Amino acid sequence: MLTNDQIIRYSRHILLPEMGGKGQEKLLSSKVLLIGAGGLGSPVALYLAAAGVGTLGIVDGDHVDLSNLQRQVIHATPDIGRLKVDSARETIAQINPDVRVVTYPEYITATNIGGILSEYDLVVDGCDNFATRYLVSDAAVIYKKPYVYGSILRLDGQAAVFNPPQGPCYRCIFPEAPPPGAVPSCQEAGVLGVLPGLLGVIQATEALKMLLGIGEPLIGRLLLVDALYMEFTEAKVARNKNCPVCGENPTITELRDENYRQETCNTELDETEEEK
Amino acid sequence: MQVTVKLFATLRTNRFKVKVLDYSSGTTILDVARDLDIPKEELALTLVNGISVEVDHEIRDGDTLSLFPPVGGG
Repeated sequence: MLTNDQIIRYSRHILLPEMGGKGQEKLLSSKVLLIGAGGLGSPVALYLAAAGVGTLGIVDGDHVDLSNLQRQVIHATPDIGRLKVDSARETIAQINPDVRVVTYPEYITATNIGGILSEYDLVVDGCDNFATRYLVSDAAVIYKKPYVYGSILRLDGQAAVFNPPQGPCYRCIFPEAPPPGAVPSCQEAGVLGVLPGLLGVIQATEALKMLLGIGEPLIGRLLLVDALYMEFTEAKVARNKNCPVCGENPTITELRDENYRQETCNTELDETEEEK
Repeated sequence: MQVTVKLFATLRTNRFKVKVLDYSSGTTILDVARDLDIPKEELALTLVNGISVEVDHEIRDGDTLSLFPPVGGG
């Protein structure tokens, strides 16, 4: 049951025929896991919190750096040096006290992901490197959780919802991570500050639709955003029956840390170096 | 045969955004990439008429080919 304050707080939601009071109650009882409280994670967390998603789990072992603040809008200047999950929790508490924030001040690994992910209805990807992205995607398939994908670089971004057997998984489209060094990091190549806002809000929209079971999610469709020309391209993407995770004869049936170390994100390496 | 080739993000550097190019029949996406001096590892996603296909896919007259590099930041 919604309280009087909640009826006012969420009144613009409740007015929507697609949502109503029942939909709002559904959001308040939903649990979303967010991997990363950085560029994409900031807008996702802010909007899901404001929307009244009842439980938000946030995994991030990183600390707020001055160079983050041009795009990571959940953190502010006084937060420099603090754990991102602590800073995010405080911001969310100010926006909406209805939200229970569960923080995981660690990096996601093959060892810890199962225990964390199984507590949630859905996972939103705000990570900054391929190794983690493949890990989150594979775990989402194995633990049967809808996976709201997003990634960005420079002035371009991508978003999709992966929920096989409905549509493909990330690996169906991108079977292997690119070789190390083939793709520059955001630190090397830069990223327009508003770009994660654009993509993160698309991810938050898709997460809410999935939780509510409304509309047509980005399943079987990969959205490609070119901010420089403001062009949105939609790619039709199909399941790969030979996919090593969600295909007919999967070879990835359990998660091992050594399988997600072949390439690491330059950004993460560089930041680790900086922290030393 | 004529094919519209669209390049995205960093693939445009020193190349172009969109161009109509002439190829002989039997040309694959990988052949086009080779012609444009795009290394295979820079091709993360290849679309023909908006549908994701493998790089050995043969293109046809009138096709629109869209090539995307990997994007992994967040």
